[in-house]
Amino acid sequence: MRVTSTKSSPNLFNRLAEIIGRYRVLAVLVVLLIFPFVLPYQALAANILIYGLFALGFNLVFGYAGVLSFGHAAFFGIGAYGTGIAIVHFAAPWYLAIPLGVVAAGVTAMIMGALAIRTRGIYFAMVTLALAQCVYYIVYQLDGWSGGEDGLTGVTVRQVDLGLMHFSLFNPTAKYFFILAFVAVAIYVFSRILASPFGAVLEAIRENEDRARACGFDVRLTKWIAFVISGLFCGLAGALYAIHLSVVPIEVLHYHMSGQVVMMALLGGMGTFFGPFIGATVFLLLEDVVTTLTSHWQLVLGLVFMACVLFFPRGIWGSILRWIRP
Amino acid sequence: MTSSDKRKGPSPTRRDVLTIGAAGGVLLAAPWIARPALAQEGPIKIGFPVPLTGPYGSEAQEQARCAQIAVDEFNAAGGLGGRMAELLVRDDKLKSGEAATRTLELIEKDGADFICGSLSASVQLAVNTVCAERGKIYNSISQSDAINEAGNFTKYTFHEALNPHMTAGAVGHHVFPDSGKRVAFLIADYAYGHEMARGFKVAGADYGIEVVAEVTHPLASKDFSTFLPQIQAANPDVLCLCNFGFDQLNSLKQATSFGMKNQMKMIAPALLYNQRRAGGADIYSGVVGGTNYYWKLEDEIASAKAFNDSYRAQNDGAPPSDYGAYGYAGVGVLLDAVKSAGSTDTDAVIGALETLKYDKYKGQQYYRSCDHQSVQSVFIIESKDEADMENEYDVFRVLATASADEGALRSCAELGHG
Repeated sequence: MRVTSTKSSPNLFNRLAEIIGRYRVLAVLVVLLIFPFVLPYQALAANILIYGLFALGFNLVFGYAGVLSFGHAAFFGIGAYGTGIAIVHFAAPWYLAIPLGVVAAGVTAMIMGALAIRTRGIYFAMVTLALAQCVYYIVYQLDGWSGGEDGLTGVTVRQVDLGLMHFSLFNPTAKYFFILAFVAVAIYVFSRILASPFGAVLEAIRENEDRARACGFDVRLTKWIAFVISGLFCGLAGALYAIHLSVVPIEVLHYHMSGQVVMMALLGGMGTFFGPFIGATVFLLLEDVVTTLTSHWQLVLGLVFMACVLFFPRGIWGSILRWIRP
Repeated sequence: MTSSDKRKGPSPTRRDVLTIGAAGGVLLAAPWIARPALAQEGPIKIGFPVPLTGPYGSEAQEQARCAQIAVDEFNAAGGLGGRMAELLVRDDKLKSGEAATRTLELIEKDGADFICGSLSASVQLAVNTVCAERGKIYNSISQSDAINEAGNFTKYTFHEALNPHMTAGAVGHHVFPDSGKRVAFLIADYAYGHEMARGFKVAGADYGIEVVAEVTHPLASKDFSTFLPQIQAANPDVLCLCNFGFDQLNSLKQATSFGMKNQMKMIAPALLYNQRRAGGADIYSGVVGGTNYYWKLEDEIASAKAFNDSYRAQNDGAPPSDYGAYGYAGVGVLLDAVKSAGSTDTDAVIGALETLKYDKYKGQQYYRSCDHQSVQSVFIIESKDEADMENEYDVFRVLATASADEGALRSCAELGHG
């Protein structure tokens, strides 16, 4: 193997990268299909799926439109609470509860986006952070609906019946593939959005906002739409989180969550298709493994993150891409 | 890779894709295939998710140490007919989501038979939901009123710790008869704080207390200088500190420096041993509170002596803390029930727990049948002055004991149990 790679190294890697790039949705899915059998346990694999989707949605705004939002916990959290409240208080079936959570997150994104999108750079980050904190306190105070400090418990989906298929979500492998089905569709849709003219406009705005405006694109509207779409993806991640853990803790709305998704996107490589999933995988896997070894897991994670920022500013996948395509 | 050696076409062929895919698949699946099959009759596994990192880290480490003592004792006595017990400690980071994930790991991957642990009201509710759905017994070892209420309780739920209603009630019944009637509250703005305040008010109603001030502060406040003057202005006879951990320490520290101790009596529902040792005698001196355990009880209670001795032998002569003792009792009683049931079957163990009268460390206890709350004594303690301390561990004086009595709990009907 080594002999082959030295002989035709740029060629083989280039070809590999080309294949993966061309069939990027398929590539992610292949990896995700074998995922639960490789990772230490399925609940962690499901968490990686969910956080990966969260980071993917976030990356649309951060990596492709080039604006840093510090309020994405709001969409994740509202998605989770929307789904959770529909199931707990209205006994809604999962196929209604999940879209409800996604729509609720989308509406939150519309409002937050409309208020925040006129600002730029650090101001945008601050405004989104402040608005997300407002959402946190509103949900915290509505403890009749949200459970407040205690969080929402009892978001239980036992059984999934799909005509011919019946399976229990208490089977961890079945639950993983249930979540994967949603994530797969989301990844496909995401890939199509990026490949569309809209995706190209987003990248144009990231590269040079004035020029994009001069070309006749409505920059503010485009950013707002990207923000809302991103909110929808993050809302779906939140909805799946609620069903996965059967609880919605108030911490899903905390700004710590917004920070975490920024870290995952940076770690994996902002503005790359695979980056968010790789970032989520590395982050959660590292946290899980290091936690069982030492109680100073934060120190280890911090050092790894610092090393990545210092030596691989493009993130893991971004660096790999640069390495194989000099 | 021979196929790709022979063929070096300009673009990837289907065979390339298949070869690379298959090689990758085998590589990734290898650890799974190599994973050994699980033995049918392994050890009895007790999952123990506690916040090893974060603000309650030292408390959680101690709980884990004490729980391990309970497991060691069970194993030393021969286990369940030779079947040994094993404690699986996991860090829940004081977050509900992490705790739920860790509990799933314990149940699904490690095959835990029972779950015991957690150190906050919200985290224990999350763990409780996950355990109840999967039909695993969960014994909670931190304070909460909500976990026994009909909305959260299931037959798998057990609550070994005291609850705010009992703790605040016992302290209130001790303090209010002999103090002035003007009472002020400083409440940490979350479930625990409000539950404690409610417990005090219920107890105070019997003695006609008058609430003159009720100040809430956000969780984890550093600066209490905006809250304390409101209380001073109301001029109360008693101040109830309904907060926990560092909030309790910081608010007491600042109240002492404001000279409030000379103006009013300070009571804290749960007065913690480790917090008192960290804070020092001066800050806490004269503060009255409640506890589930204080190591000096060994003078009167044989089981306390036995527990202290096992702990001291492993910890350079230092005695265990109150929350540590919960860890010991929570795991210990599960193993007692396994022994008395003669199996690890969930329903058999639930039956055993419901009928068990146990004395692990503080005298007789039992689980009330309607809500599985452990009926137990509450000890009223006062923090000693530096001059009265015999050694560094001698920090409290036991003033009174509210004995184990179902009357100290909210009734089953109040909790919504039909």
